[in-house]
Formats: sequence, structure tokens, C-alpha cells
Amino acid sequence: MRPAMRPGTRLWTHFAMRLVALLAAAPLALLGGCHSAPGYPPQSEGPPSSITDFATLYSQNCAACHGRNGQDGPALDLNNPEYLALVDDASLRKWTAEGVAGTEMPAFAESSGGMLTSAQIDALVAGMRKAWAKPNAFAGAAPPPYAQAKSGDPHRGEQAYKASCAGCHQNSPDEQITNSAYLALVSDQGLRTITIAGRPDIAQPDWRHDAPGGKLTTPLTAADVNDIVAYLGSLRNPVALTQAPAQAVDQPAVSKKRQTLSASRAVGGSN
Amino acid sequence: MPRMKPSQRIYAWFEQRLQLEGPIADAAFHPVPRTTASWFYVFGSAAFTLFLLQVVTGILLALVYVPSAGEAWNSLNVLNHQIPLGWYLRALHGWGSNFMVAIVFIHMTQVFLFGAYKYPRELTWTFGVFLLILTLGMAFTGQVLRFDQDAYWGLGIGVSMVSRVPLIGGGLVHILLGGPIIAGATLARFFDLHVFVIPGLLLGFALLHIWMVLKLGVNEWPMPGRLVRRSTYVAEYNRLAHEDGIPFLPGAFWKDLAFSAAIVAAVAVCAYFFGPSGPGGPPDPAIIQTNPKPDFPFLWIFSILAYLPPALETPVILIAPILALLALFAVPFVAGEGEKSWTRRPVAVLAVALIAVAWGEFTQLAGTTPWSPHMEAWSSDPIPVHYLRNATPLVRQGANVFQEKQCRNCHSIGGLGGQRGPALDDVATRMTRDQMRFKVVTGGGNMPAFGKDLSPAEIEALVAYLSTLHPANERPAYTPSRPYTDTGSPAATPPPAASGSTP
Repeated sequence: MRPAMRPGTRLWTHFAMRLVALLAAAPLALLGGCHSAPGYPPQSEGPPSSITDFATLYSQNCAACHGRNGQDGPALDLNNPEYLALVDDASLRKWTAEGVAGTEMPAFAESSGGMLTSAQIDALVAGMRKAWAKPNAFAGAAPPPYAQAKSGDPHRGEQAYKASCAGCHQNSPDEQITNSAYLALVSDQGLRTITIAGRPDIAQPDWRHDAPGGKLTTPLTAADVNDIVAYLGSLRNPVALTQAPAQAVDQPAVSKKRQTLSASRAVGGSN
Repeated sequence: MPRMKPSQRIYAWFEQRLQLEGPIADAAFHPVPRTTASWFYVFGSAAFTLFLLQVVTGILLALVYVPSAGEAWNSLNVLNHQIPLGWYLRALHGWGSNFMVAIVFIHMTQVFLFGAYKYPRELTWTFGVFLLILTLGMAFTGQVLRFDQDAYWGLGIGVSMVSRVPLIGGGLVHILLGGPIIAGATLARFFDLHVFVIPGLLLGFALLHIWMVLKLGVNEWPMPGRLVRRSTYVAEYNRLAHEDGIPFLPGAFWKDLAFSAAIVAAVAVCAYFFGPSGPGGPPDPAIIQTNPKPDFPFLWIFSILAYLPPALETPVILIAPILALLALFAVPFVAGEGEKSWTRRPVAVLAVALIAVAWGEFTQLAGTTPWSPHMEAWSSDPIPVHYLRNATPLVRQGANVFQEKQCRNCHSIGGLGGQRGPALDDVATRMTRDQMRFKVVTGGGNMPAFGKDLSPAEIEALVAYLSTLHPANERPAYTPSRPYTDTGSPAATPPPAASGSTP
């Protein structure tokens, strides 16, 4: 039989037990503030449909085109108190949910093939109002109505355009809003909205020219706005547009269906 | 007979019946060559210690975890946020797993480089290979039990690999998933594997592995020139162990214990500072806004699969693992004798170096390579404001087209967006308008053709926007013959000037 334990072993065991106790205690001591531990996990993200925070929804779905803070994007500035005063909730919700046909504004509602629930769209509409709307945005003035009531007169519109718009929009044909490719991508309502509410972020004045860049003192009348939109709409030229790229690439890349679609889009644009 | 204390009497009562003192003392104090008391010989015991840590933390986790497809994700969140220190328990188990996989690989590398698999330890190595497979099996089934999006899609990829097995692939998938799809039965099966089957096998193999280490002796430190021969090795080893030997305990064992303690402490510290892994988003296949990745032991496979040409997928997936395992099993039988020292085994050293570098590189690529388009970019990454300063209405519409048609998902601008295609911040210096129009319409290379998805006006607007993307002091690309073809006169349209650009 061996001796149960050698003399050196006992001392060593004692040391090892001390060491183990110390190592076990160290992390426990660190755990004093458990929820403040650096490794304490964040709340798991739920399904994307559970997000209803406006800032998150806006930054994930809208910021790319409408700008990080609702300004300075290529598309309409939503952070424009005049726009938010002009448009009603139902329209704002409709554009967000169903998109604007014939333009680059896509439908975001699940019911229209998008990814957002109706609660999320409500959160976006309410969030835009809360974040960016201002009381008395028009300073007492009464703007022309948001929606076009009756079709305008393109000939009068041309006169009004020359009188009120061409002063700034006088660059070469490719660069102005009369460019037919531009007009093919923007709806009548879009033209109307910008004419009335302006785009302060890019110095486009509102209907009163009450903005940087405004030169005239007489505000546009509701009829002027109707007519200018009708005039710009009349400049859309679907035929020339549907043929251009096919020639450029020397192959019939544009289908019949697309031509028809494009033509109807250019003529329509009733939003 | 001298009087005994009560504690001694109790001990003697048990010892008379169990008779464990002799075998344990034999194992603990058996002589080993002095050179085996090395810090290089501590990884095996550390791996076993980590296994014990996993058993203890796993038992505690199983008190709360619900292995059902509907409840698993919620129970992980309960552990993280509602059970006191539940998150720390998950972190310990997760980091214990990471450390265990790493230590097992390090242990295997050390055994290989030290020639410790040679006669008479061939079977020890063979069981070690089984232990490696089982450890990786634990890591994979554990990743599945952390039932989130990564787990869901990782499992989907795993079973679709299994489904490629000829003839029986479909049957194997049914056995693994408990049906044709990932559903309630699936998690129960993986819970079974992770909690009963694999740990049971692991424990059995590990005990046999340790038994053989005790019986055959710890490998002596390899000396260059001291060759292993079947006829003489055992006698030489016994001479080393007895003439220049020390008792295993404490001579060598204290280093094992100290290293194991340090590793457990490292797990505890990592768990405290880095926390548990996930769970990520809920494992709902209807949620497509996800970018799943496997856990680190399997990232290299993720890379290799991504790089494989489609025609090679099935052969590589089905044959390569078998060849690799056969090679591992064959090592001690092919090279069971001869030189043990790595200083005289260049092929072995180079093989380890090659595998390590390849593994590291593939793992790194899996973490950094933009395999997928950036699916949120089109709606979330704004165009840099100064890119649109002084932009014409058509250019603004082009920017809208660029976002809405999801060009941004593959092409970054201002550092934001996908990286599947080239960044387009200065695309106008590389391509003329005609070239851009052609590329957008017809695609080419990796790029799909968008001719059927874009109206002519959209193409015009898009190209107008892209042609503004050049540095202010650099002229955009242009076709010198364009003025002739457009008007017949070279003076009509001067080449575009350098100024007037946006970025």
C-alpha cells in the first residue's frame, strides 16, 4: 500500500484550493452590478413588424430618398411645415401605403406589396406631423387647395409659367422642369405640391414666392397653379421617350408592354 | 490497532468496500518522464475541464430552456432578461463552447506536432478524432438550440447539404428534422442530440481517451533523433519514466490544474465582458430582412461554399469531409513509427501551417466579404447632400430612380450601400453616358440587365444622375465622336467641362 498522501502534496492541495476559490470569487465580485455589466445583452430585436418608433421607421424606409432629416434628399422634402400643413393625413397615409403610381414613390403597405404594417404607416404619418409640422405654417395666408379641383388651361398655364417660373427655370432645355423625361417621372400632384408648398431645402419658393429665390411679390392664384400644372403635363412626350434608349443601345430592349405603360404613365399621373 | 478518528473510520468503511484508493493512487502517482511536465501538455485536460463546465452550465440552462419551436426563442429572452444572472449563464455556456472548440483544435495540433499519436497511442488519437467530431457536433447542435434567425437558416443550409447525399438524402433530412421542414419536432431532435446523445458519447470517448493516457503514459518530450520503434519503444519509455521520472501528481498535474483554472477564468471574464451570443431576430422564415451567419467554428465552411463553382458543390460537400476524416484517422497508421520531433518533420509542420493559414483566411473572408447585396440600402442610405447640390430636376429624379430600383443595394455611394458592384462615386470618369445607358439596359459581368425594369424616362434620369458623379476637378468621360454623330459638326457640342459637377 502507498501512503495516502505525500507531505508535499498536502501543502500543494491547500494552495490549489485557495487558487480555485479565488478564481471562482473574482467573476462573482465583478457581477455586483449585474445589469450594468458590459456583457449584459440588449433586448432581442423582435420581428421587423414590431417596430413603431418613428425615427427608426423613417431612417429605414424613407431617409434614402426624402433625406436624413426629411430634407436635402432627391425626393420631396417631408420636413417642410408648409407641405405638412397642406396635405391631410388621409393623403399622406395613402401615398405612403400605396405609393404614387407613375413615380418612383413605391408602396410601403403590406397590403400593396410593401413591408410595413398599417400601424407602422400610422406611426410614420403621426411621427412626421409631430417632428416637423408647425402651427400656422402659412402665417395666416390661404394656399390654393391641395388637390387639383378641375383641369387647368395649358395655354394660360404657359403664360403663367413664363411670368412666374421661367425667371429661375431658364437653363438649357435638359436642365429645366420642362424636360419631358423629368415630367414623365413626376405626377401632376407632385408638381402641384411643390408649386404650392415649395421646397425650402433647395430654395424653391412656395406659391407666394415667400422663400429664398422668390422674386415676385404677387402670389400665384389657385387658377394659376391649375394652369401651370396643366401646361407642364402637356409637355410630356411619351413617344419620343419610348424610342430613345432602344436607339442608343441598338437593340429593342424596351418591350411593347413597357411602352404602353410608359405612355399611360406619362399621360396619366393623376396623383 | 490504533484508535481511529470518526472521519477515518467512515473513510475506512467505504474504502473496504469500494477499494478505489489503490487504482486512484496508482493513476495519480504513476511515474511520468520528467520532460512531460510541460506547459505544452495542458490542453487535453483543459478541454475536459471545459466539457465539465459545459455540462454544469448546460444542466442549469435546461432548467429554463423550452425545446419547442414556438417557445425556444422566448425562453432564451427570459434567460437573458428575467432570470437573475441568466444572461451570464448563457454567456458562460456560449464562451465555454468557443473555448472548447479552440482548445480541442490546439490540443490536436500539439499532439500532431509532438508525434504523440505514434505507437502505441494510435487508438488514443483515433478516439481523439471522434472527440473532435463530437465537439463540433455539440457546437452545431448548440447553435441550432439558440433558436434565432442564424440558427434557423444555418440549420436550413445544414440539412440541404445532407439532402445532397445520393438515394438516402431525403430520408436523412426527415430523420434530422422530424419531417420535411424545420418545425416543432426539429428542435426536440436537436435537444436530444445536444443534451443526451452527443454528450453521452463525448463522455464515454473522453473517459476511454483519458484511460489510455494513464495506461500508456503521457507522451515523452520528443527529442530529435530518438525514433519510435515498435520493438523497443515501450521499454525505452519505461526506462525514461522510472529512471528520470516524477510522479504525475503533483509533478505534471499542477500545470494542468493551473491552466484549466486559467481557462475557466478566461471564459468567465469573456462572458462578463462580451456577454451571451444572441438570440438574434426570431426564427421566422417569413422575415426576410436577415443576414444569417454561422458561429465561428463553421465560418470557414460558409466561405468555401460561397466560393465553390456550382458544379463542384455536391462533390466537395459530400466527398471532402470524408477524405479529411479518413486522412485524420489514417495519420497514426501511416506514420506510426519514426521521428517524433517537429524539428525533423517538415511535411507535418507545413501541413499544419497551411491548414491554419487557410482556415484563418477563410474565417476572415466569411466575416468581411460582402457576399450579399445590402438589402436595406435603397430605402435607408441617403444620398450625400453635396452630391445633389445644384442638381437639375432630372438629376434628382435620377437619384430617386437609383434608390427606388435598388441600384444602391449593390453599388455604394458616399461609402454607404452594397459592395457587390463597384462604388459609383466617380463612375462618370470611367463611363460615358452611352456606356452607362448600355450597361444599365443590358447588364453584363455580374450585373443583371435592367432594360425591362426601367422606363426610358427612368433610364434617362438615371444616366443624367450618374453622369454627375465625378470629382469637381476631373472631367467626366465623353465620346470624342459624339458631336459629329449628333450634329455633323464638331463645334456644336463642346466636350463636358470639368467644373459644374456635384461631388
